[in-house]
Amino acid sequence: MPPANMRGELTSWVITLAWIFAILFGLMLLVGAPFATALQGFVEGAFGGRRFGFLMATLSRATLIVGMALSAMLSFRAGLFNIGGEGQLVAGGLVSALVAIMLPGPPLLVLSAAIAAGMIAGAAWALLAGVLQLYVGVPLLVGSLLLNFPIRYIASYLVAHPFRDVQSGMVQSHLVPNAMWLPNFPGVRLDIGILFILAASIFAIVYSHTTLHGYRARLNGLSPDFARAVGLPVGRLTLQTLAMSGAIAGLVGAIAVFGIHHRYIDGMLVQPLYAWTGIIAVLLVGMIPWLVPSSGFFFAAVQTGAAGMERAAGVPKEIGLIMQAVIILFVASRVSGALLGGSRGQRDGDA
Amino acid sequence: MLEIILDPSFLASIPRFVTPILLAALGGAICERAGVFNIGLEGMMLTGAFFAVLGSYFGGSVYVGALAAVLSGMAMGAIFAEFNLRRGGDPIVVSIAVNLLAAGLTTFLLRAIFDVAGAFRDPAIGGFGPIDIPGLAALPAIGQLLSGQSLLFYVSLVLVLALHVFFARHRLGLRIRAAGENPAGLTAGGVSPNRVRLAALLMCGALCGLAGAQLSIANVNLFVENMSAGRGWIAVVAVLLTRGRPLPLFFIASLFGAVDSLSFRVQGFGLPQQFTDMMPYLATLVVLTVLSWIRLQRAR
Amino acid sequence: MRASLEHISVDFGPVKAVDDVSFGVAAGEIHAIVGENGAGKSTLMNVLFGLVRPNNGRILIDGDERVWNSPQDAIEAGLGMVHQHFMLQDDMTVLENIVLCSEPANALGFVNFTAARNRIRDGFSQHGISIDLNARVGDLGVGQRQIVEILKVLYRDARLIILDEPTAVLTPQEKDRLFAILHSFATDRRSIIIITHKLDEVMEVADRVSVMRGGRLVSSGSLLKTTKERMARDIVGGELPPPLRRSARAPGRVVLSVRDLRVKGHMPVGPLSLDVGAGEIVGIAGVSGNGQSELIQAITGLRRASGEIRLDGKRVDNMDVAGRRGAGMSYIPEDRQRTGLALGASVSENANAGRDDVGRFSKGPFLDRKAMADFARGLIDRYRIKAAGPRALASTLSGGNKQKLVVGRELSRSTPLVIAENPTWGVDIGAIELIHAELLRMRDAGHAILLVSTELDEILTLSDRIFVIYAGALSDEIPASSADRQKIGMLMTSRRTATKVEA
Repeated sequence: MPPANMRGELTSWVITLAWIFAILFGLMLLVGAPFATALQGFVEGAFGGRRFGFLMATLSRATLIVGMALSAMLSFRAGLFNIGGEGQLVAGGLVSALVAIMLPGPPLLVLSAAIAAGMIAGAAWALLAGVLQLYVGVPLLVGSLLLNFPIRYIASYLVAHPFRDVQSGMVQSHLVPNAMWLPNFPGVRLDIGILFILAASIFAIVYSHTTLHGYRARLNGLSPDFARAVGLPVGRLTLQTLAMSGAIAGLVGAIAVFGIHHRYIDGMLVQPLYAWTGIIAVLLVGMIPWLVPSSGFFFAAVQTGAAGMERAAGVPKEIGLIMQAVIILFVASRVSGALLGGSRGQRDGDA
Repeated sequence: MLEIILDPSFLASIPRFVTPILLAALGGAICERAGVFNIGLEGMMLTGAFFAVLGSYFGGSVYVGALAAVLSGMAMGAIFAEFNLRRGGDPIVVSIAVNLLAAGLTTFLLRAIFDVAGAFRDPAIGGFGPIDIPGLAALPAIGQLLSGQSLLFYVSLVLVLALHVFFARHRLGLRIRAAGENPAGLTAGGVSPNRVRLAALLMCGALCGLAGAQLSIANVNLFVENMSAGRGWIAVVAVLLTRGRPLPLFFIASLFGAVDSLSFRVQGFGLPQQFTDMMPYLATLVVLTVLSWIRLQRAR
Repeated sequence: MRASLEHISVDFGPVKAVDDVSFGVAAGEIHAIVGENGAGKSTLMNVLFGLVRPNNGRILIDGDERVWNSPQDAIEAGLGMVHQHFMLQDDMTVLENIVLCSEPANALGFVNFTAARNRIRDGFSQHGISIDLNARVGDLGVGQRQIVEILKVLYRDARLIILDEPTAVLTPQEKDRLFAILHSFATDRRSIIIITHKLDEVMEVADRVSVMRGGRLVSSGSLLKTTKERMARDIVGGELPPPLRRSARAPGRVVLSVRDLRVKGHMPVGPLSLDVGAGEIVGIAGVSGNGQSELIQAITGLRRASGEIRLDGKRVDNMDVAGRRGAGMSYIPEDRQRTGLALGASVSENANAGRDDVGRFSKGPFLDRKAMADFARGLIDRYRIKAAGPRALASTLSGGNKQKLVVGRELSRSTPLVIAENPTWGVDIGAIELIHAELLRMRDAGHAILLVSTELDEILTLSDRIFVIYAGALSDEIPASSADRQKIGMLMTSRRTATKVEA
């Protein structure tokens, strides 16, 4: 790239950042929060705390967000607008919790079975949307999204009625046996769930860049017409990719159960918008696989940092949500316009 | 079941549920026809719901509330236009961001302005009252349906017809259709497709804002976090199914609204609330599945 | 109207699309601009029409310098343009299309269609045009769409009309009608600029002719002072390449056999039957939209169809695309931007897609990137593709090089059957020559080739046997030796002489 161009690029990034901060500053002015205190609270809330308690909370949240981002990335790169990650996440969390509660046997075995069941449930829920698209013609975008609602209410019903821990007085299931809780790393309040997501990240990156399946799925994502014309097994690719995507979402649900909440609580996977945050984390980095984990961590930090601002300066923590939206508006409209629309709006070089 | 459906008070409740979906879907239809893939109706609607309460509370009049809702919806439309049309962001990405922005902004402002979390209710929030139409009210069955509804319901009915005529006979309507079908034709004729789309997005925002006002200052007089609760997505489905044609849209939106209303009614009949809450989404999914299937068969 | 361009230059990045061109047209004159694809003709006209801003130069209308900020300015000054790709709205009526962008509207913005209707009728009678104003444009044939485009321009009372390759999709008969209208315009003192690459038409219709090559104006003058041969030399810059030599045909076994094929769709096709033998090129001519894509998609497996399709004697109609390709079929699709290539992927990734010998570029589930790059480099050399390398994005290639990549990928599979759909659409002469030569080479090597093209010249140059497709039905076979342009033109426009081949 010629230097003049690079300077232009740099200036426009600076302007973008200036916009984002200006909006943030405006909102703080609105609530009359002291800016310096708020900023300090943000940093403390995201990365600090006694024995780095807040940083651990950020990492714990990042685990779930990165997981959901990986799930979304696999679909998006294959041109599949699966925005039903939330439903797949709920299916995974619900099923793994119920299996762990009901299945007798040695804890480690049951835990493995429960995680596997969660992944299968997530995959199945994603496949349902895939089957609707392939064989019934329901666009994946709306089909996968609408499937979020039934599973959300089914899960809510199951933990409100048949599997409710009535004594707790809350809408939640019983605790999973203590022996199945994912242990914390020594000395910190962070469970080993993050290792699962680390493994999933490595898998997703290796899969996307070096495998035949990933290559073919990518071609389908860039141009479905092309993929069909050169005889790629488009239907099979779609279903297999969605199954992978859903399985990772299911795994995230299982990690939330065994690592964090130790039971299924109504709304625990929906309210924090893990799935949506995962989606925007992928969009932020234009679906480039190796950038996804850091992008997920960044958004987790924005959320926990916002909570820190609320504690320190009384800024409502929902400012985090606004920041995420603003960032994605400014940044994703710059980087991913070309990536998502890879097959759209490009023309021949000849006059 | 039949008893419920024929129950006059059930009939009377249908328009309350139809109106928000219909208004948002009409807005979505304008975007659809203009070739803007806008799945941010949910966010525009939620913004409208909040600002309706804000306007009504501080302005002391439902009309100020409705105006605030319309303006806030248009502002969201303008944001959509800025990032999609001018900066070239993918419409799906921009939609998702608009939805998140609306969720964040409304809850943030709820706490920043009213200092409450979750919900805000206050006697000072005025609402649209029922309007009795003398001749209509006396009619059996449909009298209940058509009379005694909020002003916004009647507005939405008029808008269905108005939009139909607009697309067929109005200059901007023609251009909106062209922007959706072959925008190069507009460019060649010296009209910027993006300006046409900007107009479409502003109109869409205004209608979604009104849809939100129906939720917060006509159906009830309060604002609850995330009170649009997926109705914007149902409107998106209605738009996709009808490809943005106003008259079919009216029927689909009415169907979805009626199921929404029914789900409220049957709560008293021993069904767990989760199942009744699920009904509108399930009905949407079923209708979407059936119509997609029929379309697929026809294409083969 | 008098218009002239003075010292116009347009740069697209490092490329000089138009290089210091001066050019003028007088009132009542028909001025042809000829040149090959990429010579800068369209760009020059886009400058005149306000679609492209020149880096240098002036535009003069009736002697006054004008600056266009948008096509709107040019339109208001009395210019009109009929673009090569129709700019019409299929879902609107003819009337709605004509008024679009200059609607006669009242203060509230509602369109007065009655006024518009009356105004159009006047134009009808003056220039001998007839068309149903209430018809949906999507239902019209190409010739009639062209008329709608011209009516649009006429409705705005354009005094200077630019037509970009107006005859590209017309049959000879439709072309005659168009030229009659153009002459009527000229009599009306309107100026006309027609961009074309067909010299016969220049000889037929133009008063003056300008030749462009590589962004420069090579010659300009009265038609009377030049000849077809001189123009042809100016266009290519030097001597003409020798015409393609074809060896005598040695027809072999039947490779592709289609029986009773029926395809449902927007343009239903069939029932039709067709054989393509080894060592021959069977050409299917026709105006686009007469069922060509349906037919090809049915044969390649991209679309459902009923009937029997055999490849080398083996039934393939129940197979999917991959199965058919594996059985010995290659496909050069018409749309290289979406179907032929994945533009966001690299040259190498595009080159290796759809290969049957998966084991040659993968190890287990993993890709062998080096083997892929080597293969791509082979194609780049063999088909003279100008690319920065195997890792360059396909979107960075020019139109001709994109097409060579598609052709190379498909022909290198060396399958018994090759299906080529408008294989040289919109590419430069160099690429056309290479692609034609490669197709003939394949034919001589004993491959069966089914060529579907809307360019009659291409069909006539390459085919051993010719069919014409019209409204989803094939005409009787026309041997290349007795093919004549007028007769094929008739078949392209009417069912009368076309008979369905029943098996």
